[in-house]
Amino acid sequence: MTESEVWQRLTSVFQDVFEDDEISLSPETTAEAIEDWDSLTNIQLLIAIEKAFPGLQFSTGEVANLENVGDLVSAIIKRVAT
Amino acid sequence: MVSGVKTGSVSPDTDMPDEKARAQILSALRATESIQDYLSLCRKWRKIDRTVSDDGCTKLRVALLSGATTDFLELPLRAELDSFGLRALIHRPDFNTHVAELMDPASATAEFSPQIAVILLGASDITEWPAVGDTEADVAKLADRFVDLWLNNICATFNRETGAEIILGNLHLPPTSSTGHLSRRLPWDRTNFVRRINQLLAERAPKFVHTLDLELLSAQYGVQQWFDPRFWYHAKQPVSFDCMIPLVRDMAGIIAAIYGKTSKCIVLDLDHTLWGGIVGDDGVNGIKIGQGSAEGEAFLAFQNYLLELKARGVLLAVASKNEDANARAPFDTLDDMALKHADFVSFKANWGPKPDSIAAIAQELNIGLDAIIFVDDNPAERALVRQSLPEVRVLEVGDDPSEYPYLLSRSGWLETIEITSEDRKKSDQYAANRSRTELAESAVDYDSYLRSLNQKAVIRPFEPEHFDRITQLINKTNQFNLTTQRMTQSEVEALAASDSTLTAYMRLKDSFGDNGLISVAAGSVVGDTLILDLWLMSCRVFKRGAEFAMANYLLQEAARRGISNVRGLYRPTAKNGLVENLYADLNFEKDGPAEDNGTNWSRTLAEFEPFPVSIEIVEDFA
Repeated sequence: MTESEVWQRLTSVFQDVFEDDEISLSPETTAEAIEDWDSLTNIQLLIAIEKAFPGLQFSTGEVANLENVGDLVSAIIKRVAT
Repeated sequence: MVSGVKTGSVSPDTDMPDEKARAQILSALRATESIQDYLSLCRKWRKIDRTVSDDGCTKLRVALLSGATTDFLELPLRAELDSFGLRALIHRPDFNTHVAELMDPASATAEFSPQIAVILLGASDITEWPAVGDTEADVAKLADRFVDLWLNNICATFNRETGAEIILGNLHLPPTSSTGHLSRRLPWDRTNFVRRINQLLAERAPKFVHTLDLELLSAQYGVQQWFDPRFWYHAKQPVSFDCMIPLVRDMAGIIAAIYGKTSKCIVLDLDHTLWGGIVGDDGVNGIKIGQGSAEGEAFLAFQNYLLELKARGVLLAVASKNEDANARAPFDTLDDMALKHADFVSFKANWGPKPDSIAAIAQELNIGLDAIIFVDDNPAERALVRQSLPEVRVLEVGDDPSEYPYLLSRSGWLETIEITSEDRKKSDQYAANRSRTELAESAVDYDSYLRSLNQKAVIRPFEPEHFDRITQLINKTNQFNLTTQRMTQSEVEALAASDSTLTAYMRLKDSFGDNGLISVAAGSVVGDTLILDLWLMSCRVFKRGAEFAMANYLLQEAARRGISNVRGLYRPTAKNGLVENLYADLNFEKDGPAEDNGTNWSRTLAEFEPFPVSIEIVEDFA
């Protein structure tokens, strides 16, 4: 999976979870930038991302520390990009 | 498998009345097993819920307590309860304050005064584990201490302070084991200790504590599916995202069972639902049922599951589009069928629309449409029933019969908080009712029919051996119910123990069998007046004169105690129009309005003559 495919799929997961088709992501996008992104939806988001990328499972450390979309993308690419 | 239930497929259009959109969202919610869709539907439900006025309706107050995070459960629980017709207000104290909140009579949770408290226990509540090598006696002592603390101390205190019924979620087994397959033989083993505690929590639970068996539920899904350690460490999340759905569904199911809102009857399609193939086309020997084919075995397993449900009191009925003779043939002639014709309390095989058959079944059995679950493999029939009879609970099934028992078992619609001996006999009682109907049709007039029934009744004050059935009847009866006053068993016991009350239950027998304990009434004595504020009767014995026999007992007993006036209260609901004029029929006079749109009725006992009834009152059934 290329990096741009990861971005595309991740964007659509965000749009689903936050039910907002207008969401567009950049590496600097943080929880503050998206209205409903709180500690609860964050967990929901991580689960949704795992489901969207077969084989992906975030580690306990990542679950606790992923702070922005850039971190997320590098965590995903580390696992699924070949 | 679950078709058509995707995020977005139920977005209500702006013209749709909120109630209809709400019903659609709730039925989609009950059908989906995808957590993403589920949460999205919950949020849609919340949007509508906010805009719907509450008509001042009283909400059910539920407290949710745990040493783990329960934030996620609140919204889904409210939505699931709404699908049982229960509007709930949920109080959730801060994470890990549960013990203090339950023990302190001045805590915010006690102030909230919940009717239901759901407590989810977890491994973190076990402060003292057995030490390696502890003997059976050591471990038993530790387990006793834990169980005693929770049941007799924490739960009992909270129940005493607030009167709340308590739903106690027990522990799932630990996802790892240090002793492996030896664990069951070691008293001190942790897995074994959790099993022991769970067993004792259920065995020793007082009447006001109901078990939410998370050991069972987590085992059905797999403990490693149930518990995601990452989110436990990160956020003290006690259950994985995917397993939130079964947790909340069963939680809501048990609460609904306490309020008599779970289902009583399963209405089944036949072709492709109880057997493979179409009996009208394939012939009775061409359908797939029983050993010999994989599909036939799957249908047989479903039939056997239905029989298990029947044995504990769930009624079974058939609504099939078929020639009646074709529909009956497999039941009558095939040995491979587990279900027989006599297992059904009603059997409708015709070419009319299914909603008509279902409505006829409800009427015949005298139960509400909301007490019915409909199972049909045909999505068009399901859609039609859902549309024409929105109260009916339609099970969303795919076309694989091996899943049917699982879907039914997972629905939470059939939860019950107890199984009485009445329940186990229920199908027989309905069958006896069919024979009575046939007799009524052959009798020249209704009075001679009633006489030919040879009815005998026992009417007595509440007695401990019947407390469970009295409580069940109080909470399940909707139609012949003057005040729809629901009560917990502890309240029933208190009523029976009080000197200033008059209580009565009635059992009824006739030539076709024992109808069981079918009516309950109670009132309080204030000065020289008896105030009747609880009176209900099972729909199984409508039009048998039993209400007049009960009235005779109440009024005679009141007169015997020197009471000169009787006041009766009628409080209307959507379902109890049947008894609107009961007090008028008993020669009471309207005595002005009462709370909740109710009416007060009163009469004196000065000129009381017992009402004529065709029921012989006996001291006891020999």
